[in-house]
Amino acid sequence: MREYLKETLLELCCSYTIISVVGAITNFFYGSETSNANVIAMFIFCAIAVFVLSLHKLLTRFSPLLMILIQFVLSLGLCCLVVFIISLIEPVSPRGWFEFIRSFVIVYILGAGYYYYRVFKDAKKQDKLIKEIQEKNKQ
Amino acid sequence: MRLNLYEDKNTAEERVDIYYSSMRPAIKQIIDIANSDRPSLKGRPADEDLDDGIDIILDPGDIYYLDHIDRKLFAYTKNGVYRLMTTLVACEEQLWNYGFVRVSKSNLINIYKIKQLKPDLNMKVYASFDNGERICINRSYKKSFTEYLQRMRRLSE
Repeated sequence: MREYLKETLLELCCSYTIISVVGAITNFFYGSETSNANVIAMFIFCAIAVFVLSLHKLLTRFSPLLMILIQFVLSLGLCCLVVFIISLIEPVSPRGWFEFIRSFVIVYILGAGYYYYRVFKDAKKQDKLIKEIQEKNKQ
Repeated sequence: MRLNLYEDKNTAEERVDIYYSSMRPAIKQIIDIANSDRPSLKGRPADEDLDDGIDIILDPGDIYYLDHIDRKLFAYTKNGVYRLMTTLVACEEQLWNYGFVRVSKSNLINIYKIKQLKPDLNMKVYASFDNGERICINRSYKKSFTEYLQRMRRLSE
């Protein structure tokens, strides 16, 4: 448990740093500013993403595709809950929900696509290694 | 590998000389045979009663994979399924040099018997064998599986 917490916190720190630096660079070039509420929301979303992705070890009995779908539904649900809670304090713009879901889905699909590609690429590489070992063992 | 056999009726001591370029698994296996250390597994046909059956010596090279079900260990070969009276961990330690690698909590597969490694559309990766059967490679074991393959390739060089 301690090891899990240590690993998860480390991942959270790294991912939040990357996101805030990218956000800061984007703001610098577009001349926009981020509010305190946005910074906190960004951190919460980051924490949700790291937590949900860290659950993959518990989902090994499911196929990766099902795991991706479970994680998608869980993380989307948690993020929607956070946005809903924030909306009680600060109003969400009319297109806020649409923009939020669109941003979430695009990033998730890109991530899942990359994972899918890696699974196939790694399997191909392993298959090549096996053939090579079998060939050398025959000689 | 070139094989020279010399028959000498007058020899007092039978011997084996091995000339090798690198100590790869195939050479190690020959040494094991010469030393009579080659691991063999005792098994009984899975469909027979354990008390009546006769132990059959199984060559690791004939085994496709080992499966641990309900605290029982089974070896799958071309000729049938055999129940082994040992543990999966013991087999893993004994047979790593013979191409056996752990791919899930209950499976040890023989990489020399794999026909193809291919992922399904649901992203589960399966190892298919000559006998048409396939075993899923659990993603928790993916890293150790790749490391094992790289190690075996290095040893084969």
